[in-house]
This record gives sequence, structure tokens and C-alpha cells, in this order.
Amino acid sequence: MMTCSTSHRLKMRADKSLLRQKFLKKWVKLLQLYTSSEKLATVIERKKLIELSADVALASARGGTTRWSRALIASAFKDSHDKTPCCANGGERTLHESITRKITSKKVLQRIRGGASKEAQASSSNRIPASSIAKRLVKKRTKLLKKIVPGGESMDNVSLISETLDYIISLRAQIDVMRSLVYLSGHLDA
Amino acid sequence: MSSRRARQSSSSSGSSRISDDQIIELVSKLRQFLPEIRDNRRSNKASASKVLQETCNYIRNLHREVDDLSERLSQLLSTIDADSPEAAIIRSLI
Repeated sequence: MMTCSTSHRLKMRADKSLLRQKFLKKWVKLLQLYTSSEKLATVIERKKLIELSADVALASARGGTTRWSRALIASAFKDSHDKTPCCANGGERTLHESITRKITSKKVLQRIRGGASKEAQASSSNRIPASSIAKRLVKKRTKLLKKIVPGGESMDNVSLISETLDYIISLRAQIDVMRSLVYLSGHLDA
Repeated sequence: MSSRRARQSSSSSGSSRISDDQIIELVSKLRQFLPEIRDNRRSNKASASKVLQETCNYIRNLHREVDDLSERLSQLLSTIDADSPEAAIIRSLI
């Protein structure tokens, strides 16, 4: 990987920037659907909108190529009658309804935070071999990871790893874009 | 060096456990994000569980950060208004 590493790094940087652009485009599109909505009077509802639309935009930037993104979008559509999978253009109306319903509902939208990770119970007996405790820990933590990654519950362990990596990369892109937006908004003279 | 690397762990219930090779692959990729994970040769299982835990914690931190950023954005963008200067800036970014 001597000579390849530079071009590999360049490619990764290009991919990252592409992902951020895709995300930003879709996110802004979604946000603009609500530009004159009176339903967004409260800060809480605005936050819900920002967060929900950011998640959907992030997932849709994957173009349905990863399971976590499909699962995320599916859960955004959960309340809507039309079960069409999300796509760039056609699904916007339905998505609009589904998002509106979620935002104006009383329940606060929460991400899947995963249960509090219960550490392996300290075993009182000293006869349990360390390897089987470790095995149990791995199993427990795999389960936890499956709860944290959208759609993880139905993944086999092999896909779980690649999906997790993709999910992390996407989340970081989302954070980059949101941070830039915060910076911009904070530095604007109204 | 890595002669003890087992393809599939002895109890071959591959559907419920992550194999050592996969862990090694995951570690090498995660290393760019989580510099704290070191290559623990003492026990592959112990490092597997540590990697999983670090990953879960990391993702939870990312979620928290998005949550925090959404909070700040919802205050800064007081109206997601087509005519506001923020919207104009956003449009110019695309």
C-alpha cells in the first residue's frame, strides 16, 4: 500500500466531500418543504424537524445501498399509509406528511439510544473460565450495537460490521455539515 | 506472530458470533476513528468486546452531537423561512 495510500486517501477525501454535498442538498430540500409552516412555532418542533429531516436526508444520500439507511427511512415512513420506499423526488409528498405527523405529535422524537449497557455481572464463582465470560460480553455488546445501528436487529454479524462503518462515516458527514451551518448562522449579520 | 488466528471460532455457530478475522478488519478500519483501540494480542475475544464497546460508545457520542447541533440550529434558524438571509446563504451553497 506504499504508492496506493496517497491516491487512496485522496479518493476517500473526495468521497467524504461528495457525501456531505449529497446530504446537504437533500436536507435543504426537505427543510424548504416547511418554509412557511405555522406548525413549527416552537423551538422543540423546529428541532424535531431539523433532526428528522437530517436523518432522512442522510439515509437517502446512500441511495438505498445500505441497510441502515433503508431501515432509517422505513421508520420515518412508519406512520404513513403509502409504503413506497423513499426516493429523491416522488416520495417527498408522502414523506412530508409523515414528517409533519411526527413533528406535531406530543411525543418527542428520540433516536435509538440503545439500552444502558449492562456490564457482565461479576461472577461470584471463580470457576467460570475467562474465555466464556469474554464470549458472553461479545454477544452482549453485539446485541447492543445492533440496537444502535438502524436496522441492525435483522443483520447478520458480517453485514453488521460493514453497515456500522458506513453508518459512522455518514454520521460524521452529517455532523460536519451541521457544524458548518451552525457556524454560518452564528456569524450572519441579520 | 498471528499463528493462533482461527478462521472460525471453535464453536462454529457463525450466526451468533463475530469471527476473529472480522474483528481484525473492523479494528483496522475503526482505528482511523478511535485511536484508543490498540491491537490486543493477548486475547482476541477480549479485544472484540472492547472494540464493540468503543464502537457503541462512539456512535452514541455521535448521536449526542447531532442532537446538540440540532438544538443549536433550531435556535439559530428562528424561522426556516424562504426569505430569511440564512435561506439565501443556504441556497447559494448548493
